[in-house]
Amino acid sequence: MKEITKKIQEIAARLFAEDKIDIFLAWAQQGEHEFHTNSYVARSAEDVKNIVFNEYSIYNVSNSLLKFRDSQERIGIAVKGCDSRGIVRLLEDLQIKRDRLYIVGIPCPGLKDPLAAARNYGGFSRKEEEGLAWKCLDCIQPNPVIYDELVGTEQTPRQQGDRFAKVKELEQMSADERYKFWEDTISSCIRCYACRQVCVACDCRTCIFDEMKPQWVGRENSTSDNMMYHLVKHAHMAGRCIECGECERVCPVNIPLMLLNKKLIQDVGLLYGGPEAGMQYVEGSKPPLSVYRENDPDDFL
Amino acid sequence: MPDKDHKCTCSEKPLVPNIVEVIDIIDRTPDVKSFFVKNPDGNGVPFQVAPGQCGMVSHLPIGEAMISCTWQENQEYLEFAIKRVGLLTDELHQIEIGQKIGVRGPYGNGFPVNDCKGKDMVFIAGGIGLAPLRSFIKYCFKNRQDYGKITIIYGSRSKADLCFKEELFELWPQEPNTEVFVTIDNAEAEWDGHVGFVPSYLEEINPAPAGAIAVVCGPPIMIKFVLQSLEKMGYNDDQVITTLEMRMKCGIGKCGRCNIGSEFICLDGPVYYLKQLRDLPPEW
Amino acid sequence: MKVLSKDKLSTALNKLSDSAEVFVPMQKGKQSGYFTWKSFEEGQDELMLEALNVYQSPKNAVFPQTERIYGIASQGVEVNIDKTYEDTSANIIFGARGCDVKGIMAMDLAFLTKGYEDSLYKARRSANTIIANACYEPGPNCFCNAMEVNCVEPAGADVILHDVGDGYGWEVKSDKGEAVTALLADILEEKEVKLPAIKPFIQNVDYSGVAEKLKDMFDHPLWDKLAEPCVNCGMCTYVCPSCYCFDIQVKMWGEQGYRFRTWDSCMFEEYSREAGGGNPRGASKERFRQRFLHKLQFFKERYGTPLCTGCGRCMIVCPTDINIVRIIDAVKEAEINA
Repeated sequence: MKEITKKIQEIAARLFAEDKIDIFLAWAQQGEHEFHTNSYVARSAEDVKNIVFNEYSIYNVSNSLLKFRDSQERIGIAVKGCDSRGIVRLLEDLQIKRDRLYIVGIPCPGLKDPLAAARNYGGFSRKEEEGLAWKCLDCIQPNPVIYDELVGTEQTPRQQGDRFAKVKELEQMSADERYKFWEDTISSCIRCYACRQVCVACDCRTCIFDEMKPQWVGRENSTSDNMMYHLVKHAHMAGRCIECGECERVCPVNIPLMLLNKKLIQDVGLLYGGPEAGMQYVEGSKPPLSVYRENDPDDFL
Repeated sequence: MPDKDHKCTCSEKPLVPNIVEVIDIIDRTPDVKSFFVKNPDGNGVPFQVAPGQCGMVSHLPIGEAMISCTWQENQEYLEFAIKRVGLLTDELHQIEIGQKIGVRGPYGNGFPVNDCKGKDMVFIAGGIGLAPLRSFIKYCFKNRQDYGKITIIYGSRSKADLCFKEELFELWPQEPNTEVFVTIDNAEAEWDGHVGFVPSYLEEINPAPAGAIAVVCGPPIMIKFVLQSLEKMGYNDDQVITTLEMRMKCGIGKCGRCNIGSEFICLDGPVYYLKQLRDLPPEW
Repeated sequence: MKVLSKDKLSTALNKLSDSAEVFVPMQKGKQSGYFTWKSFEEGQDELMLEALNVYQSPKNAVFPQTERIYGIASQGVEVNIDKTYEDTSANIIFGARGCDVKGIMAMDLAFLTKGYEDSLYKARRSANTIIANACYEPGPNCFCNAMEVNCVEPAGADVILHDVGDGYGWEVKSDKGEAVTALLADILEEKEVKLPAIKPFIQNVDYSGVAEKLKDMFDHPLWDKLAEPCVNCGMCTYVCPSCYCFDIQVKMWGEQGYRFRTWDSCMFEEYSREAGGGNPRGASKERFRQRFLHKLQFFKERYGTPLCTGCGRCMIVCPTDINIVRIIDAVKEAEINA
């Protein structure tokens, strides 16, 4: 990983020197421990030395692009497989232009969750196991799908067995059992909206949950309002979720959010086929459920 | 800064409103209505207000909003002049006489009516911003001997958008030692008055700063330029008073959102001398 | 000193639960927070009194995330308040660390002083007893000592527990403390105990002069840099033991409904958005700055103590590793060009 860090730094330095970019998005270690690694914006050749790619560079930096969608900077960005799918989503949604980006792809060996490490270090509650983050164990796309330059060697997907096994387990339950399952998990939601804020596919300018005229979803912390939040948010992710797993990773109350997303990925795949969200970028292409036609056979939407 | 150890002036359950009945509604402009309310038994009002204080008005099934409450000489009813800007105010504009609504208050510090005694008063307002100043203006006329010359400068986008026309054109100009200047942003037919923005009209009228207090209320952009004009005209920061608007929910300094620095505008404000505002973070 | 033997802990919690809701630190499935002892399921849940702390603070016990204020009946022009809510049933927070006790002390200042008393909070708090758990071994993220907290003798506790190995030394600090002690008269034993020595703090945080210095730093460029990674979720504010901002909203089903309040977060754009659409803190950086200034400057100016209690939770949960200690350090180090 030190090698990769060095290469990214070299590329970023070169891009700054050649005046090809104004900022470079990657990761940096912010505190004394390695798990204090998070998203970072290098703004000059001077900043480049701070960039790292280490085993905690798990944050999906494609999300950081949203902060720059209205400005003009030319952006260099280092991405893993999942992050690169986020970039495709943003390109498809016309949130950012391809020619503003110089993408440095990193085939990802699978990383650790800095939040788990921070929790263990902090000494609250029980210690957790600190292997590869579970989201990395489920990874189907470690290699970047879009890049201008690649550093490191191709990785093989780590996902093994039936990718939708847990979804099928839930599908086997009776409706009542399934409801109970979601009631139990979703009632503990504290509505901090971190799952939305770290989601690169959540690129709406005004989120439906922040809309007050009219207010679509109540803000009460109750099972019904919480469910409404999660159902609406995740239904909106159908055909959009790039499976980066950030929502579930950051959730402070451990709601299995990717189960909802996986169910939708499975169903959208069965209904529409075609490549999954963010897997390939063809200019002008749209994911399923993003296109409106007046002659749509259904009468709703 | 004002003393922050406020006295609680409302009920033991400060977040629970009093139910009142709407006894009259007057259209002030196409998007401003005055609502007059009384206790449902027809006797009096749930609370009395000083000039510049506010009340939290609720259409109970919809929501609540902090609205300036008009000071009345006889406190037989409460008047709220409400502009249609959002979900709640849209709904309020639909209600009819007889509707029961909720009010709680009074909130806020109100205007420093005593500090201003003996001064020439210059009231500068734009649009619905005249509503809070109107309380102070009415108070001055009721206690006419306490105040010097009164100058009222008011502007709105168009003739139709001028609030409180009867007072502006008929009642106030007749008061002794009083001048009323009205302007609209753009020329229109059947308007032979002044055309132009409030700040430049203010500089044209140029009321003398010596012994005067200017009280300003209006849209943020107007306030910004009026403050610049007043400075140019020689007004010191302790001669200028304005009222602030922030989003409010509780009205009692608890819920957090209306703060500017360590001030809660609902409780410590909304009325400030410019001198006080200069000490606060520039979020106003 | 009176001692609560650890093998009598569940007996004591059962006893206290006869007359009150008792909130204890617990690992409940995947949840780590304060839950009622009545909800404790043997074999599944784990009591976390021995742990440094749990992820959700006990503020829920006195300031629930959502609580009703009053009921509404609305029929045409007739609108009535048919019920007002105030929860005066006894509740006990058992085993709160000093930082979390300080969180409640800060909420007492916000809700009960400076004019108005918040009747909902007052009702719950009047019926609330705090049994604190003295901290002799600060954790790696702890800095309560820098935030005016005495973690061994936290101010505001009604009883303080001192872990002496096989039991808890039971130190009564108030009348409310006497009342719960009386309930446990048959369970507490009188014993000679030796209190442990307090271990030093692992990190060294210096808050002195920060509130004063921040007065001149509102427009300082450091906020751009510090706020850059923040994604404006509300996690830090919701796990915080002292963040108390709330929203008031209504829920109606046809003609019946209620008004309620619910935690809100200064991190959300909607929080300070005005009806007309304007927003004094529309930008991410402005909201970020508001949170840290409220914690470190504004609350101190208004109430005389910082709103941060040094518990370290926000730095553990933040998805982008925003760290209040690093912010305090950055403020200390910053140069001000007057």
